[in-house]
Amino acid sequence: MSNVVMQTRIRLARNLRKYPFPCRLSQAGKNEVVETIVSAIKNSNSPLANDFDVLYVKDLTEAQRISLVEAHLASPEFISDSAGRAIVLSKDREMSIMINEEDHIRLQILKKGFDLDGAYDVADKLDTLLDENLDFAYDEKLGYLTQCPTNLGTGMRASVMLHLPALQRSKAVSRIAGNLQKLGLTIRGTYGEGSEPQGAMYQLSNQVTLGISEQAAIDNLKNITAQLINQEENAQKRMADSIETQDRIARSLGILKSARLISRDEAMDLLSNVRFGINTGLIEDVEIQVIDKLISDIQPATMIVNKKENLTPSQRDQLRAEHIREVLR
Amino acid sequence: MKCQKCGKNNADTHIKRVVNGQFEEHHLCSECAAEMGYTNVFDSFSHSFADDFNSLFGSFFENALPARTQATRCETCGASYNDITRTGMMGCADCYKVFADQIMPTIRRIHGNTTHCGKNSPASKAQPAEKAPAQNTKSELDVLKEKLDSAIKNQEFEQAAELRDKIREMEGE
Repeated sequence: MSNVVMQTRIRLARNLRKYPFPCRLSQAGKNEVVETIVSAIKNSNSPLANDFDVLYVKDLTEAQRISLVEAHLASPEFISDSAGRAIVLSKDREMSIMINEEDHIRLQILKKGFDLDGAYDVADKLDTLLDENLDFAYDEKLGYLTQCPTNLGTGMRASVMLHLPALQRSKAVSRIAGNLQKLGLTIRGTYGEGSEPQGAMYQLSNQVTLGISEQAAIDNLKNITAQLINQEENAQKRMADSIETQDRIARSLGILKSARLISRDEAMDLLSNVRFGINTGLIEDVEIQVIDKLISDIQPATMIVNKKENLTPSQRDQLRAEHIREVLR
Repeated sequence: MKCQKCGKNNADTHIKRVVNGQFEEHHLCSECAAEMGYTNVFDSFSHSFADDFNSLFGSFFENALPARTQATRCETCGASYNDITRTGMMGCADCYKVFADQIMPTIRRIHGNTTHCGKNSPASKAQPAEKAPAQNTKSELDVLKEKLDSAIKNQEFEQAAELRDKIREMEGE
């Protein structure tokens, strides 16, 4: 089983027919939409019905808001405004629904590893159950109607988070990105928008939502992902033979195990190297899941929320180094 | 229909607008439309001619523009086409009907397509359940046919052959 794909997400955009889209909806209207959707979830037959939290953005601290973005549960757009916005989360955080982001409903299923079919299956069922209690804006010709025409049709964005250290190092990602566009897909950095995203983590997702069925879009994405996995693994194998790579990976683990202060940026780079090392068998005594958990735990706002107190950047660097040492001991 | 401006290319952009209280309608090719400031009316969400016109003179002419009422605003949410191009956002579900003519070219540019194929909202219960799959197949077939046309136009013959086989297979079902 390949470790190149770190997580899979399916997101569906839906709107209630009765209300204008969020950009033209009054504050009172937004609150009504929140209440309508929350009560529809409670009354649905879905696994979410008895087991969810509702967080109103206005009640959250800055750190709590940002931590939702760090955990890939909310978008930066969602937390940019608190009025009339809420997020519904299952206890395990696999299912989430942003209410009144760009659309009334942004339903998301997040799964570890590479599981597009599994994630879509859950999303599809949840969507169908919600549809029983909510009248969705749907048109025979245009499909699900969304505030932005880029999401029309299926309203589905399927994405995989890829760890591509070898393709990044060999500068292949930008070449690949150009070709992906022709296939209706897009790739961008998960952390940071630059050409060399932090930790070599990328988000690959479908771009076209109209005129292509959910299954066809998922199959297309699956196909391309499989090809990328293949290319990445071949490139990793080639690189792992060089003493320079072996040195870099061993040093990275060494620093993580002994540093007393570490910034997020440095930690991300080093964890990425270690992940590469585990994948190629150069590091044998660390589990890849441990690294993946660390990657999410060391994000700044997530640290503040977990610690339940405000931390200055240098306190964070110290705590981060301690935490990593502890976990990797 | 040929472009009303150059008379050469096919008109693929339908423009309706109000200038100085006059309602105008144009059928243009994309190049002539671009020359008139309707380049990226929607896809880059940049300022269109209509926008500039509005921001410069909008308030000044407001009272002199009786035509800009029902015809140019969505009755449900009050959005005008200018609101939509300015923000890149539709105001409500009905805007897709009210501004259908204006936004279809944009939708086609974004998706290369204007017909949904995929999940039907189960709540569009008006439609009998057993009819749904048949409709699905039909729209998928239409999509393939459209793709075949464009592949032939672009002389992508290998792809065209593949599409043709797929279409035959589906029609044979």
